[in-house]
Amino acid sequence: MTLDRRELLRRAAALAAGPLAAGPLGAVLAGCAGDRRPATAGGLEPSLNVYNWSDYIAPDTVRDFERETGVRVTYDTYESNEELLAKLAAGASGYDVIVPTGYGIQALLAQGLLQPLDRTQLPNWGNVAPLFRDAPYDPGRRYSVPYQWGVTGIAWRRDKVSPPPTSWSVFLDPRHAGRMTMLDDGREVLGAMLRLRGHSYNTTDAAELAVARRDAVAAKANLKAYISAPVKGQLIVGDVWIAQLWSGDAEQARTEQPELGFAVPVEGSLIFGDAMAVPRGAPHPRAAHAFMNYVLRPDVGAAISLATGYGTPNQAAAARLPVPRPYPDAAELARLEYQRDLGAATAQWDRAWTEVKAA
Amino acid sequence: MARATPRPLMGITALVYLFLHVPALVLVAFSFNRSRFSVEWTGFTLEWYRRLAERGDILRALRASLIVGLSSTVISTVLGTLIALALARRRFHGRRLYEGALYLPIVTPEIVVGISLLVLFAAVGVPLGLATITIAHVAFSISFVVVVVLARLRGMDRSLEEAAMSLGADEWSAFRRVTLPQIWPAVVAGGLLAFTLSFDDFVITFFVSGVGSTTLPLLVYAMVRRSIEPTVNAVSTLILLVTTVTIFLTDRLGRARRGRTA
Amino acid sequence: MIRRPLLRRLARRPGALAALQLAPGTGWLLLFFLVPILIMLAYSVMPRGEYGGVTAGLTLEHYRRFFDPLYLRVVGRTFALAGACTVLSIVMGYPVAYVIARSRRWKHVLLFLVVLPFWTSFLVRTYAMIFLLRDGGLINTWLLHLGLIHRPLTMLYTPGAVLTGLVYGFLPFVILPVYASLARLDPALLEAAESLGARPWAAFRRVTLPLSLPGLIAGSLLVFIPALGSFLTPDLLGGARQLMLGNLIENQFTTARNWPFGAAASFILMAAVLVALLVYLRTQDRAPGEEPG
Repeated sequence: MTLDRRELLRRAAALAAGPLAAGPLGAVLAGCAGDRRPATAGGLEPSLNVYNWSDYIAPDTVRDFERETGVRVTYDTYESNEELLAKLAAGASGYDVIVPTGYGIQALLAQGLLQPLDRTQLPNWGNVAPLFRDAPYDPGRRYSVPYQWGVTGIAWRRDKVSPPPTSWSVFLDPRHAGRMTMLDDGREVLGAMLRLRGHSYNTTDAAELAVARRDAVAAKANLKAYISAPVKGQLIVGDVWIAQLWSGDAEQARTEQPELGFAVPVEGSLIFGDAMAVPRGAPHPRAAHAFMNYVLRPDVGAAISLATGYGTPNQAAAARLPVPRPYPDAAELARLEYQRDLGAATAQWDRAWTEVKAA
Repeated sequence: MARATPRPLMGITALVYLFLHVPALVLVAFSFNRSRFSVEWTGFTLEWYRRLAERGDILRALRASLIVGLSSTVISTVLGTLIALALARRRFHGRRLYEGALYLPIVTPEIVVGISLLVLFAAVGVPLGLATITIAHVAFSISFVVVVVLARLRGMDRSLEEAAMSLGADEWSAFRRVTLPQIWPAVVAGGLLAFTLSFDDFVITFFVSGVGSTTLPLLVYAMVRRSIEPTVNAVSTLILLVTTVTIFLTDRLGRARRGRTA
Repeated sequence: MIRRPLLRRLARRPGALAALQLAPGTGWLLLFFLVPILIMLAYSVMPRGEYGGVTAGLTLEHYRRFFDPLYLRVVGRTFALAGACTVLSIVMGYPVAYVIARSRRWKHVLLFLVVLPFWTSFLVRTYAMIFLLRDGGLINTWLLHLGLIHRPLTMLYTPGAVLTGLVYGFLPFVILPVYASLARLDPALLEAAESLGARPWAAFRRVTLPLSLPGLIAGSLLVFIPALGSFLTPDLLGGARQLMLGNLIENQFTTARNWPFGAAASFILMAAVLVALLVYLRTQDRAPGEEPG
């Protein structure tokens, strides 16, 4: 069949251009693991491999997609961009749809690991709000489709903490020592401390980093632990009272624990957007596009936004939300920053973070 | 020995046993607790186990663990037994060195083994998945199987084999009818150990897993990091059950073997 | 059957049969154990690629980096925790091994109850610890109920929690070798000591303890080595606050995208392990006072 041959050629080409000469071995193994079932009625490949953040989709999305298209979806999850990048760095990962954060897409593009998207297979693209149709890390959105956006902030138990924390400095205050957590993410922790001093989340200035590091070590004494999204469970049961957390996860926790508040500190914090992308050499690109197009439907987008607690870049979906989740206005945007991939400066940040963790 | 064991020693021993087993028992007990978030006992329920059965991801992970476990067990048991036979029966240069080198996979930290395999697969371009996990599991199980089977071969009475051969049986028949039945319990024990190691493995699997190859330990890790609800206790209890049964069987085989040496 | 003549021919050339038996397993280990480690060795002396992986070249900077006080501190903490874990395991495990060796009726049950945790999933057992030690966990809840404390004790995410988790995980590794050593002890030696007037503690110190030394050393190493490479325990029980060598290595391959440095760290860890292994092998060669075999 022409489809299979094109697929095979594309796969072979991708592998040949890939890291090392022993590509054929990978091709053989990939072929062995490949599908022997026929394509679906819509001309899509019979299966799809999606790799997304954990707790980052509505419970029915995948199942409904499978039912509508006949494509069988394998859905795996990761907990951090770094985990995703590490798995992709290991060559042909076999995933068709991945959902990195903006700076992750930057890194992947720099390594040439993403394939350009085919807009003709994304008729629902028109639903994307104009604000999200372009991105600094992916000019023209040639490689990505916006998925969700969110901000980092502070989540706290209203019944245990008063007055509400409004500044990153709360982590330097020993009053609630042992009841606070920050994210297990060097960019977020050091970034917060940088922001506290009026610096940028994307700085490469050694002096600024050094001060942030010192502050982070001071804060560490008051922290219970560094925990990322999993801190939700502890906020709900009350082991943790104050947590640096992402807006969507805070919202998810709030549905189980109404006594939860969330706010962006006065000094400002991070705003981030995650987007769907297709790795180069993905075995099922047509199904990948079909999935991304499915997610861009207003009802599907709204369901995802409701389930994850994050904001949706899909204006048609946003209109369907019972409680609006408006994108930050100009005033708020002024104190929010997008994270950029730091390239060579990553080593500097890593060392600072290791120092904090080893302290 | 006539003297009784001093009381303080018995006391310490009892405490140590409690330390070793109470946490797991508590874990199991609370998998039946009705309350979702607190550790107050609010009633007995099988709700969490029922939820397990409904969760597709757990069933898929169990399937993945079983596929990897059984394949890696078969392969490593065969390869390991062959090596043990060569070590026990044949003389060759560097045998002692080889035997010592076999300990390396056992003592090398799991994180080093896992990462080095990731690096290998990345360098060669092999897609990660159930196959790569199986390869990894075989690699670290072989040495364990060798240790178990070799111990049995060395402790075995060879006179039966020699008798068979002097009565005209050739090597292969002697092996098949005399040696193999005698070492069979050890081979099975080695296999069961290999299965346990594979079924429980987390660190190495973490680095070499790929699409749709989330095994049960990987899933449990994600669950443990996410929340402290009784469903995690339920999954853990099932894992404990599988391990206990396997080790119990291994133990039984060991006893049967010891009884039948004569 | 065709096999018989072939085997007979092979049997006359023992080397060939041995080679055939050794080949598949050895091949597997060479390809999937040795080669990856060699690749890692190569990576550890190559410059870092910007997004992970390596670029061409040769450098010792990654090993040199280890002499930075920051990383020495991590190594130091790792050795300290592993060492403390080993000492505690010996103190707790030796009496148990002694009691098992001396018991008659319950020996098998006692041994089984030690072997079982030995093989049970480390992850599950670590989760059991979390369940107990959490602020809202069992221990705190009971202590609060009994009125012994008014605020929950912070037990989880402390170095103490990591140490407890390590001991909990590795204690059985000490008990079994020490038991094996004690079980092979010739009771006649102890009776001789007794009849010569030695008191229990003296008999223990001068006869039992030295003779069980090989088992003790073996057990210590069986605890120390994996504790050194520990990754899960500090990760889950330490709240990402207590950085051990295993975590540092994992970190380099994910967040820091510095594979060569991670590889170098792995080799430093391997070096420590090999030294410990050599010590073990040497002590096993000189084992006095045991019954042969």
